[in-house]
Amino acid sequence: MNMNKLRTYPKKLFWRLYFVCLVVSLILDFLWLYTSVFHYHFSFQYVPQFFAIFGLIGCVVLILIAKGMGFFIVVDEDYYQKK
Amino acid sequence: MVSWIHPGLVICFGGLLIPFIPWRRVKLAYFLLLPIIGLGILISTSMGLFGTIPPWPEALHKWNVPFLQYTLDIVRINKMSILFAYVYVIAAFCMNIYALGVKNDWEHVAAMIYVGSALGAIFAGDLFTLFFCLEMMSWAPFFLILFRGTKKAMRAAVRYILWHHFSGVCILAGILLHAHQSGSIEFAPMPWGWETKYLGSHLMLLGFVINAATTPFHSWLSDTYSEASPSGSIYMTAFTTKTAIFCLITTFSGVPLLMWMGAIQAVFALFLAVLENDGRRLCSYHIISQIGYMVAGVGMGTEMGINGAASHALCHIIYNALLYMGAGCVLVVVGTAKFSELGGLYKYMPIAFWLYMIGGFSISGFPLFNGFISKTMTIEAAELIQRPIIYLLLEGATVGTFLHTGLKLPWNIWLQGREEPRPEIRAKLNDSAFNTPVHMLIGMGILAFLCIFMGVYPKILYNMLPYPVEFVPFTLTRVFSITQMFIFAFLGFWLLRKLVRGYPAYVIDTDWFVRIPGRQFLDFCNGSLLIFGSFLDKQVRKLTDMFILTICNPDIETRITPVNIGFGILISIMLFSIFLVLKL
Repeated sequence: MNMNKLRTYPKKLFWRLYFVCLVVSLILDFLWLYTSVFHYHFSFQYVPQFFAIFGLIGCVVLILIAKGMGFFIVVDEDYYQKK
Repeated sequence: MVSWIHPGLVICFGGLLIPFIPWRRVKLAYFLLLPIIGLGILISTSMGLFGTIPPWPEALHKWNVPFLQYTLDIVRINKMSILFAYVYVIAAFCMNIYALGVKNDWEHVAAMIYVGSALGAIFAGDLFTLFFCLEMMSWAPFFLILFRGTKKAMRAAVRYILWHHFSGVCILAGILLHAHQSGSIEFAPMPWGWETKYLGSHLMLLGFVINAATTPFHSWLSDTYSEASPSGSIYMTAFTTKTAIFCLITTFSGVPLLMWMGAIQAVFALFLAVLENDGRRLCSYHIISQIGYMVAGVGMGTEMGINGAASHALCHIIYNALLYMGAGCVLVVVGTAKFSELGGLYKYMPIAFWLYMIGGFSISGFPLFNGFISKTMTIEAAELIQRPIIYLLLEGATVGTFLHTGLKLPWNIWLQGREEPRPEIRAKLNDSAFNTPVHMLIGMGILAFLCIFMGVYPKILYNMLPYPVEFVPFTLTRVFSITQMFIFAFLGFWLLRKLVRGYPAYVIDTDWFVRIPGRQFLDFCNGSLLIFGSFLDKQVRKLTDMFILTICNPDIETRITPVNIGFGILISIMLFSIFLVLKL
């Protein structure tokens, strides 16, 4: 096995694949939603691109709220030793 | 003829012999053999060699021993317990391979006692046996933490045992109250209600909930697991919390309180994980978050909810051990698992990275990995009972899980946009792609294989679940929605990746409410209370001296001044009133 190949990670391939998946998922969601392929349990899941929005917003909100909480709950590493 | 051999006993007592084997190779082979023997016993049990296992919830009972006015049902084999036992011994085998490099034999002993007592607990048919095994289970990890050898670990071990003593006392009190009221010690569904007559159930639930690390009692887990020795912590991720989930399934399924606690916990732990700098602490928050799914499933109490909780507990044992192994091997190789000190390790430990990523995809619930087949079952159970808020919390937790274990941790440890690690870390590495010890990679490899195998062929798990499974995980709707969610979660992560970069810090958790007031109480006892005590002591001594003087020497009365007498009376009245208050 070529050792150097193992030691670099396939950056370019990853990004290309990622953007293809992103675009394809957006198109498929419209396509399948309007041809009633999906079977959801709640009405809000039928909002177009619901899961894309949920994933993106969920991720951003999680990080931002946590960072806000960080002002109160992040302390020095030896907090309990010092006190 | 032997009615049954308890795999827990074999592993527990077999483990005690490990330090006395003089040849190292034989010792390690024996160490690996113990879980295999356990697996052999379990396979022969399921084949019906010791009697057929009836359908759920009926059970096969062995080893009934009279105890006081009760009969101990030491072994009760049903579909659920045998399923848990299988995963326990398989996971223990992989963990043993991972731990082969450990020099301290007593760490192996502690680990085997831990695994054995966990098996004892899930096969227990009565509450006393269960309690005994749970107590043993709380002591073994104490040593696993202690064997790390650092001062910090020693303190963490003491905190661990204090938490578990507290939960143990709650469980024992609950058991005694329940036994007194109902006259039965069967480990079976408990009566539930909010009235005071259910106090026994409340206490028992509190004990199990602490053991399962349910919010707000979760902090012991992240606090102590991250301080244990690298291989010791792998054992700890699997057994204590999952046994508690098993207990909750058996005793408190369908309690709505649990459903809400679980769903909130699944999300709450993620907020703390965003701020975390230590790889193993981050994985600990993910244990807590994943336990949320199981607790929520138990709380729903429907057949699908229970199936979801059980299957998720089992899949979780496998992928979480893999995640912890990934973070643990970095700790072993470079001596730290802190994000602020790592990054750029890919060039030196690529295999560990990819094996870790399999665990990361599994915990996130990617299709074709084992998290997908169990997590979606719990989420579907929430959809079926029409609980949109629970559904949104659990689905949101999926996004957060992917964000942390699938993206933040591997990015911070292995990548961070660096080609090379920092110089002080680089100095500890050889210039090759094989810095990770081989036995660790083998242990991780087997677990990674299981993650994918169960994900591709879920029937192997579904067929063994207590209730019949009608759930089909691979529907177009589910696969598509979850994949799209992850694609966009990645986008969110990439946009804000600077914010999740690690920096040296400590995140305060709910244990602050115990640790800081607790310390202040101790300070108060050591300071003010002690001064008051010695003052009181002095006054009482004076008073007694005075009495003695008066009694022994009547001539001395001239020496007693009215001030002295007044003070003496005051002290006596105070003491008497304190006595009265305490007595009443």
